[in-house]
Parts: sequence; structure tokens; C-alpha cells
Amino acid sequence: MSDGDFLRVTDVSKWYGDEQVLHDVSFEMDRGDVTVLIGPSGSGKSTMLRCVNRLAEAQEGSIRLDGEEVLSPDLDVNDLRREVGMVFQGFNLFAHLTAVGNVALGPRRVLGLSADEARERAEAQLERVGLADQLDSYPAELSGGQQQRVGIARALAMKPKLMLFDEPTSALDPELIGEVLEVMHGLVDEGMTMLVVTHEMSFAREVADEIVFLDEGHVIERGPPDQLFERPEKERTGRFLERIASHD
Amino acid sequence: MAGATRPATIRERVADSDRSVGRLLLVAAGALFWGWLVVSWVNRWLGGVLVPVGDPLVPAGTVEAAVAALPGLAAYAADAAFVVELTPELARGTWLTVVITAVSLFLGFFIAVPLAVARVYGRFSAWLSLAYTELLRGTPLLAQLFVLHFGLNLGSYVPDVLSGVFPRNVVWVAILGFTLNGAAYQAEYIRGALESVGEGQITAGRAIGLSKLETIYYVVLPQGLRYAIPSWTNEFVYLIKYSSLAAFITVPELYYRADQIASETFRYTLIFIVTGVTYLALVLTASKLMGRVEDAVAIPGLGADREE
Repeated sequence: MSDGDFLRVTDVSKWYGDEQVLHDVSFEMDRGDVTVLIGPSGSGKSTMLRCVNRLAEAQEGSIRLDGEEVLSPDLDVNDLRREVGMVFQGFNLFAHLTAVGNVALGPRRVLGLSADEARERAEAQLERVGLADQLDSYPAELSGGQQQRVGIARALAMKPKLMLFDEPTSALDPELIGEVLEVMHGLVDEGMTMLVVTHEMSFAREVADEIVFLDEGHVIERGPPDQLFERPEKERTGRFLERIASHD
Repeated sequence: MAGATRPATIRERVADSDRSVGRLLLVAAGALFWGWLVVSWVNRWLGGVLVPVGDPLVPAGTVEAAVAALPGLAAYAADAAFVVELTPELARGTWLTVVITAVSLFLGFFIAVPLAVARVYGRFSAWLSLAYTELLRGTPLLAQLFVLHFGLNLGSYVPDVLSGVFPRNVVWVAILGFTLNGAAYQAEYIRGALESVGEGQITAGRAIGLSKLETIYYVVLPQGLRYAIPSWTNEFVYLIKYSSLAAFITVPELYYRADQIASETFRYTLIFIVTGVTYLALVLTASKLMGRVEDAVAIPGLGADREE
């Protein structure tokens, strides 16, 4: 079990208007951990993920990242985000920039690298995700799987200490999912700290140190994958896993 | 299959050659028009190196004789000569029309972009932008020019550095008027384009640590301004024609010169047909130019999935 030295989410609650979407969510991660958030759609997993880099604002609770309070009003969100990479379900690549341009923008404009340094770093990251031959392609010229790998490279280029993955394979055709999961596997092997929202249960099972099951904004159950998948303690967890399994 | 395709191919070839002939004629007309303008302007700036300032590039008598020699056109020889006599003044007026339009459009753009950004992404500034846009779009342009010229008499406040660039200081007043007014229209076109840049683009920009303004500058504007080109071209075209309103505050541009000659010669129909054709040529050039710009900055796939 993690002792939460690196990321400690404590009693996080969030409302959209009158509707409460997160109820006292808590979990912890150590550096190098992989935590996977699972749950039915609308369960608040993506919202929880977005609270970590403040793309969504939690109204209550605490999120401490590497000793710093993420939810503090004094925190510069841009400083936070340069250290926390994010990969989106819909890729969200900058449509007017090539693969290299997409990856280099952050290093160039946020980290202040020179154009040459930024390009060099972008090329290295694209090579890392297996796209050395697509450096100058525009997003529209790439397959979904390639686009998502550019998205991962874009996040990695900031040298983040935590990577957030928001359903990175949900928008992909089945035959393209593998290449993205392969890249994510590689990151796990390199020891990257990753918080992942996904429906890819076999991937979750393979790489996760902890699974957190969310339903209607509540943490229903959490634990190591073997325990959660084989012997779920809560009935809701079991039902959800059965439903997911029947779709595979 | 082969038998069925052959006639189609021939038909296509005919269509292609039609298109290329039309294209060739258009290019030739454009070259003639701009050649006439540029040579006329240069001749005037250099104090009449080719022909005395004020004279047409081709003697009117020569044209008259040439047209008279053509079968069936003899009756129009005098009109042709008259039109040739007009050309020096038209070229002179067109210079100001082109300059006023280009400068106002250029300056207006730098007001329009912040206006559009404020409108889409601002809170209080969105209201300011809206108020500005509605005021300038909702009142007659001519009334705006009158306020600037007759009301505020801005022509007498033109700074020394700018004074003397144009024959009359009132040209600067016109440029100011068209800049402020055009900015409001340009802002509307750009706003529409910015709104069609996907929310995900902004989220992605913010997620790598760009500030809101940086995201707008590096992510939204490069896409939005590309989307804006076709509708923005409308403003370019309108401004070429609206610039004729400057005549009413005594700016000696194309319309002003044409009107002056017409009131001296009473040949309104002929003069304003020729003037109209000159505006048309300017407008066609502007559309063509912007089409080129659009192609030059096009990015594969960008805007393909955009809702108009």
C-alpha cells in the first residue's frame, strides 16, 4: 500500500451547480506508482483526474503533490501544469502544428527553450513513442493511434513528474489501441508515475499498483488489481467488472 | 468502359481549354489594369519621365483613330478617346483608394483581433468590445466620417510627421474613420472564426502550462485567423467600395475625381461606368489575392471538420 509520499488526495468533493460529482474522494500514490481509476461513465473519474492539474476545480478537500497543496488559491496553475502531463481521450492535438510543432510548443513557450533545443527535445520524444518518421506530419495526416502517441510525446516533452491519462484509448478503433498501450507500458517500465482513467481492464490489471473504483462520485473500493479483480469486497464493484468483462 | 470514357474526356478537354482561355483573358485584363496603374503612378512620382504629368499613357488621338478604323465601332471612337483622356485622373484617384483601403484594413486588423479576443474570452472587456462593435456597425459610416472631419475637425490635428504624406491631411481623417469602422466589422468576422476553434484546443494549451493569453496567441489565433480569411475577404471588398465615402469629406480618391470630372463634363454615365469597372477590377484583385493567401497558409485537414 502506498503511503502517499508523492500524491495524496484527501476528501476531495466537487459540485457542478447543485449536483455533487465527487464525494470525499481519497487515494494516495508514491513516486513511480501506477494508479488506475475505473468506474462507469459519469462516475467522476475524469473529473477527479482533472482536479489534479486544476483543469477542474475541486471545492473541498486537499490534493498534495510532492508536498505542495494543489488546491491552494496561491498556487500558480501554470507552474503546476508544467510538471503534470496530461493525455486526452480526444487527443486534442494542436490542429495547425505538425507533430514536432505540437510537442515543441510547451518546451519552447512554457519552459523557454530555444527553438533548436525545443525541436531537438520534441524529436527525441516522438522517437520515444515510435514516430520518428512522422515528425512533420499534421494531425489530420496521422491515424488515431499515431495522434495519441503524439499527444503522449507532447506531455512527456515537459519532463513531467506525474502523467495523467484521461481514457487515452477510448476514442480509438480497436486495432489502434495496442500501439498506444504499448507506449504506456514502456512508460511504466521506465518508472513514470501515472494516474490513468481507462476501460482497458487487462492493461489496468497488468500495470496498476492500485485500482480505485469510483461510482457516482464515491470511491466504492480500492486495492491492488489482483484483489480488486478477483475478490472484490463490494457488490457494486463486482457488478461493474462483470458488465465490463461481458463486453470484452 | 473505354468507349464510354472517350467522349467524356474530349468534353473535359474542351471544358478545360474554355477555362484556360477565360483564365488567360482574366490574367491579361489584370496585367493591363495594374500595368496601367503602376506605370501611371510611377510616371507621376518621377515628374513625367514617360509622358507629361496629366497626359494619358497612350495619346487619345491614337486610340480614337484605332477605334475608328475598326469595323462597326467607328461610332464609339469619340467615347473611347474621352475615356483615355480620363485615365490620368482615374489612376491618380485610384492610388488614394488603394492606399486608404490597404492602410485602414491593416491598422484595423490590429484593433479587430483584440476586440474579437475580448468578445470571445473576456468578461468585462467582452461588454466593452460589444459596445464598440455595435456603435460602429450601427451608425452610418458617412456620419462617422462627418463627426471626425466636420465635428472634431481632426484634419487640423494631424501630427507633423504624417502631414505632407498625402496631398491633404483629411486623407488621414478618412484612414482613421475607416480603420475604426472596419475594425468593428473585422472583429465580427474574426470572432465567428475564433468561436469555431474547438474547446479541446484550449484545454490542451492550458494543460501544458500555457496561460490563457498564451493559449489564445499560440493556439487559437493561428487556427481562427485561418478560418476567418474567407469572411474577412468580405470586409476587404466592402472597404474598397466604402472608401468612396471619403469623397464626401473632400478626399481626392477615385470617386471624388470621377465625380469632379462628371460635374464638369456632364458625361455621368460613361464616367461612372469606367469608375465602376475600376472598382470591380480592384475588388476582383482583392478576392484573388485573398484566395492566394488562403491557399498559401492552408494546413492539411485544418478546418475540414469545422462547422460553418
